[in-house]
Amino acid sequence: MSFAGILIELTLMPLVAFTIGLFMVLMMRKIAAKIQRRVGPPLLQPLYDIIKLYSKQTQTSHGLLHDIGIVMAVGGYIAAETMVPVPGMHGIADKAGLLTLAYVTMIPSLGLALGVGQCANPNGSIGISRALTAMLAYDVPFVIIIFGTAWFYGSNNLVEVVAAQQAGGIATWGVMQMPILAIAGLFSLYAMLGKQPFEIYVAPAEIATGPMVEMGGKFLGGLFVMQCFQLFTASAIYVSLFLGGGENWPFFIAKLFFIIAIPMSLAFLFPRYRTEDVLAAVWRWPVILGLAGVWLVMH
Amino acid sequence: MTTPLDLLLFTAAATVAGAFALGRWRDIAWLTGAFYIAQLIQLTGLDLPSASHAGFTLFGQLVGWQMDGFGRFFAIITVGAAAAATAYMGGEWGERYRQAGHSLVWLHGALAINVLAMLLLLAGNDLIALFIGWELTSWASFLLMAQGGERALRAALRYVPYAMGAAMAVLGGIVLTHAFTGTLQFTELAQRVPQLENWQLALMVTLFGVGFSIKMGLLPFHLWQAPAYAEAAGAGTSFLGAISARMGLFALALLLVKFVSLTRLADLEFVSGLFDARDLIAWVAAFTIVLPTFTALKQNDARYLLAWHGIGQGGYMLLGIVIGDATGSAGGLLHVFNYATYQAALVLSVFAVLHRTGTADLNSLGGLVTRMPLTFLVMLMGIIGLAGLPPMNGFVSKWLVYRSLMIEGRPLLFLMTVIGTLGTILSVYKLIHNTFLGQLRLEHEGIREAPWSMTIPMLVLVGIGFVTGVAPGLPLQWVNDAQAALGLPVLPHTLGGVESSQGGLDMLWVVGVLFAGFGIGALLFYGVGNRSKRIHQLDNYAGGHFLSADVRYHYSDHFYAGLMHRIGPLYRGSFTRLEEAVASANDTLAALMQAWYRQRVPMLTLLVAATAGLGWMVLQ
Amino acid sequence: MIALTVALPLLAAFLLPLLPALARQFLGPLVLLAVAAFGLCLAGNALDAPSVVAIGDFRPPLGIVFYADGVAGLFVFAIAVVTLLLWPCATPNGQPDPQITRKHSLTLLMAAASCALALSGDLFNIYVFYELAAVAGYGLAAGSRTPAAQVATFRFTLLGSLGSLLALIGITLIYFRAGSLNLAHLAELAPSTLHDPLGLAGFLLILLGFGVKSELFLVNSWAPEVYATAESRVSALLAGLISKLALLAVVRLLVLVFPVPEASQLLLVLGMLGILTGELAAYRARDFRRLLAWSSIGQLGAAFVAFAIPGPAGLMAGIAVALHHLMVKPALFLLAERWGGNLAQLAGAARNSPIAAALFVLFALSLIGVPPLPGFWAKYLLLSGLAGEPAGLWWLAGLVVLTTTVVEAVYLFRIIGTLYGHQQGSVMQSRTATTGSGIFALLLVGTALSAPLLAAPLQKMATQLADTDGYVAQVISATITAPQRSGTAP
Repeated sequence: MSFAGILIELTLMPLVAFTIGLFMVLMMRKIAAKIQRRVGPPLLQPLYDIIKLYSKQTQTSHGLLHDIGIVMAVGGYIAAETMVPVPGMHGIADKAGLLTLAYVTMIPSLGLALGVGQCANPNGSIGISRALTAMLAYDVPFVIIIFGTAWFYGSNNLVEVVAAQQAGGIATWGVMQMPILAIAGLFSLYAMLGKQPFEIYVAPAEIATGPMVEMGGKFLGGLFVMQCFQLFTASAIYVSLFLGGGENWPFFIAKLFFIIAIPMSLAFLFPRYRTEDVLAAVWRWPVILGLAGVWLVMH
Repeated sequence: MTTPLDLLLFTAAATVAGAFALGRWRDIAWLTGAFYIAQLIQLTGLDLPSASHAGFTLFGQLVGWQMDGFGRFFAIITVGAAAAATAYMGGEWGERYRQAGHSLVWLHGALAINVLAMLLLLAGNDLIALFIGWELTSWASFLLMAQGGERALRAALRYVPYAMGAAMAVLGGIVLTHAFTGTLQFTELAQRVPQLENWQLALMVTLFGVGFSIKMGLLPFHLWQAPAYAEAAGAGTSFLGAISARMGLFALALLLVKFVSLTRLADLEFVSGLFDARDLIAWVAAFTIVLPTFTALKQNDARYLLAWHGIGQGGYMLLGIVIGDATGSAGGLLHVFNYATYQAALVLSVFAVLHRTGTADLNSLGGLVTRMPLTFLVMLMGIIGLAGLPPMNGFVSKWLVYRSLMIEGRPLLFLMTVIGTLGTILSVYKLIHNTFLGQLRLEHEGIREAPWSMTIPMLVLVGIGFVTGVAPGLPLQWVNDAQAALGLPVLPHTLGGVESSQGGLDMLWVVGVLFAGFGIGALLFYGVGNRSKRIHQLDNYAGGHFLSADVRYHYSDHFYAGLMHRIGPLYRGSFTRLEEAVASANDTLAALMQAWYRQRVPMLTLLVAATAGLGWMVLQ
Repeated sequence: MIALTVALPLLAAFLLPLLPALARQFLGPLVLLAVAAFGLCLAGNALDAPSVVAIGDFRPPLGIVFYADGVAGLFVFAIAVVTLLLWPCATPNGQPDPQITRKHSLTLLMAAASCALALSGDLFNIYVFYELAAVAGYGLAAGSRTPAAQVATFRFTLLGSLGSLLALIGITLIYFRAGSLNLAHLAELAPSTLHDPLGLAGFLLILLGFGVKSELFLVNSWAPEVYATAESRVSALLAGLISKLALLAVVRLLVLVFPVPEASQLLLVLGMLGILTGELAAYRARDFRRLLAWSSIGQLGAAFVAFAIPGPAGLMAGIAVALHHLMVKPALFLLAERWGGNLAQLAGAARNSPIAAALFVLFALSLIGVPPLPGFWAKYLLLSGLAGEPAGLWWLAGLVVLTTTVVEAVYLFRIIGTLYGHQQGSVMQSRTATTGSGIFALLLVGTALSAPLLAAPLQKMATQLADTDGYVAQVISATITAPQRSGTAP
């Protein structure tokens, strides 16, 4: 593909991802509302929220690094999202590969951690300590899954992985070929999204003890934007690995929303895990399933 | 007629002479620094392989030196690390070191001796030359470790039994090799060693392997390394940390790849068809990644934390080389280079903080980012490299190792390497958080940025780390030479990384997109919405209470409480206990032996021995 | 010339007390210089062809034979040089010693006996000179006049005498079996008469007897006591020189008369145990002199192990180990003159006496075998000799050498750590001791630098020493006519 072509894709992909991400947030809120028998927010509420946060009067910055943390968090996911192929656009998926993608998704966490650290709020630091521990937890099954799929398709290149799945319809989807890995992947995705019972590091119920404690105004707004990208990226990775990727946009979007809906629907069934219990939970079944899945794939 | 290698060794020897002869001169660092740069230039222009005229024949053994691409790769890193350390100690740091009552002459001298010894080791062309270099390196690094006070000396003394054990294992290996093959020349060994019988090969690999692993700090012989490296004088620590232990890796790779060959190594099977010597080494490397990394996570002294990571990072290098395909071995070798750049920078940044604040205790610092922004930048880039995240070079070499494990189908080893990386991320965040983020202590309010003599070498090092991260093709050129010299398959590469239909890596694009993402993020942050108001660093509140600056609220101790709650019981100190057990067994034996020499009537022993001997002879 | 090396110092030893004071000062060193020169000539000539002298022209097996091959010449040279360097002088605290003449006499006597021991070609002669050296040794050891020294020397004397007695019994046994004491003669007779339990029993007794002086395990428990209490120079002489000569006598016997596996394995096992006990005991030593004593036991154990290896390879290794120890241990004992006693008092001594401390580091590095110092080559030869033998006991010995070297490094570096500690030191090294050990250090470094040149002569010496047939032929052709020979041959 020509250089200019790639540049155009790289411009388009974040826009699409952001839009879809916004609707995913909306859907999550709607699901939560349905479960709690509320009406739920209107269609454009996520967008309003972002505008509101950005235009707040009080914007407290604790220093340059506080700002840069937000920039890194948003920018990292924007970059990550261009490494996942979407229908009609490959971005730089074939130049980076699955492994790189996995590591690029850690950059936002690091950026957020730096930003929170600069705030000098001990509660924020505790939140980061939990967030990083949770990352250690969910990345273990995640990389097992990456290994399994890469081995199965003989490639680290997501474009090829998707192409191989689309070759024979639903029968060649990853979820059909490697059901156990797909289940483990769902677990890992669930933990990665930080929904109950894995929401210890965001800790929305006790905002005073979490990374968000010093985040107001556009700092929180930036993180909101980041979340949109994160939802899109995480679900797109899962869809590309197990659900045949994107043949066309409607199907692709349907799959994305479906994947996000699963953890959201389950979330309210559980109370919250403590940090050490997150470790125990994620390191037990998902890892066992993942390793079993890899073993099956390799034999 | 002197050869280029002669000239190189001569320059290195001249550096030693100059460091000692003119050591009291105030600007000695400029001289030795210039000498290191000269060596670096000679090295990069060296024709491969380059032989030396120096050499002799002794007891029928030809002892000579010749440098090939493999040796040169390590030599470049060695000399580069020495140059950075010299620049660092040339200014205010060295002045302070001297004022504290230490000898700067010996520090410069020890560094120069280290470089010379390592060059001799790297250029050895037979096992005797290798051993000469090996021993000189060991004792030179002892000398460097012992500089800088009583604690450094204690830590260095702990290194002695390990160093000597390594040396003796290697010497044992050498004499056995000679007995088995009748030669000690590298070229002949490469032909003859693979033809040995399995038991001979196993014995040889065990002896050499143990010896070389001790230097490398491979499990379970790693305990000496962290204190010895951490307690040394700052510039010395950075040199030791960056390259010293890699001499073990050099020798190990020489043994496993060049002499024994990896395919032959796989013939030494423990469980037929399932587990062979090669797997064993790979697993030892994997455990060396994980266990020391998680030990680093528990350290409260920045120097120890980095030293423990140094041990852990060695595991990636060995693992890559043992996997042995083009990708993995390139990754393992490239990691030596990459690791040296960021580890040296990190150590120097920690010592810059130590220079300004007087402590490296992670519970006594905090909030220094506003005071020492350049040092912070160095540490930030350094930890990104150490953690192996894009865009720094550490990511590229680790990526190559992961990729080769994927290609070769080693899921568990792959998992271990990733767990090591994740543990590193946690650990290095603690490092930067406890040092530079969080609450600024009142007593540190007047701290200034480290002087330029310290920041420039650090910035250059991380600059190299960044450039070689964006364009890994640059060092991969040297790696290819090293691979070819070892007889490994050579990794074809581009400037940005590796091209492959099964998923390559183009760092130019990855980094470009990453920074574009940051740019968009910055636009969104700074371009949209209300302007943010910067408040003073000491103006904080938490949980509804205003925090005054004299209250210590920096969250630093026991940083990963939740994680430790889960994995804490796994820290059993087994290796420390093993070390203690060996030491006390030795003590007990020694006491018994002394008892023998305290016997009251030695004549009786003599008579008994004579009678017994007679009786035995007669009865026979 | 051969006889002169023995006769000159012997004569000087007896004349010394009778001479005027000025002559007393210079006679000894002059004689020793002469002997050194003779030794060098001998070694040089003997490398091409060993020379044989029948003393008083009495022919073996009745007469006494001096056999000067390369090793003997080298040892004569070493004896003279080392004795010269360790020449008794003022007491450590600088006062003139009233006993000095007696000490000079005894030292000369010891040198004479040692030369004779190195040169002697028959067993009885060896025994006589061994006794002479021993007596001189007792006298010197008692010289420091402290009660502890007296007790230690008394025990040493008792043990030594018993040892001599055993050796004598052994020699009698051999004479009883073979009817001769001439080594060349015995070499011919041995396969038929001595390679049986009784003959070996003779060897064992001689080994144990001579082993007392050569610090052989089982009979070496005197060494730490004596070395800790005697004057440092005496300890240096005993540990450095006399032990090697007793060893040389055993080796000659082993090579010429008992080249059987049992004998060498005996040597191997005892040597191995010597290394183990010596080095490990030194590990816990808290006293500098005792530490040196134990280390010396360990080193001699290594020499025994080396000589146990059959063939020239082993002999070469043995000579190298012995010579290296001869260069290093006396120098260390010289340093012990002021540094003797509790190790803790050495703290920070490097600040007061930097040169002495540096010398200690050099010797320590050579002892543990750091290349390119000579200690490494000695250890390399020893180990490659052991590795060349079949697996089993030999390799076990190699393992013992390797592991104990680690122990050795630990205790030596512990001292280095103490020396370079950061306290202000309290003891000051004396100038004479520093100079003395400095000369040894120069020798050591010289050997290291000229190692490639020295290798060939060493190899030649070892071949010569191993060449039993050559020895027999030389001695017989020089002294015995054909008919006599056929009369005693089986």
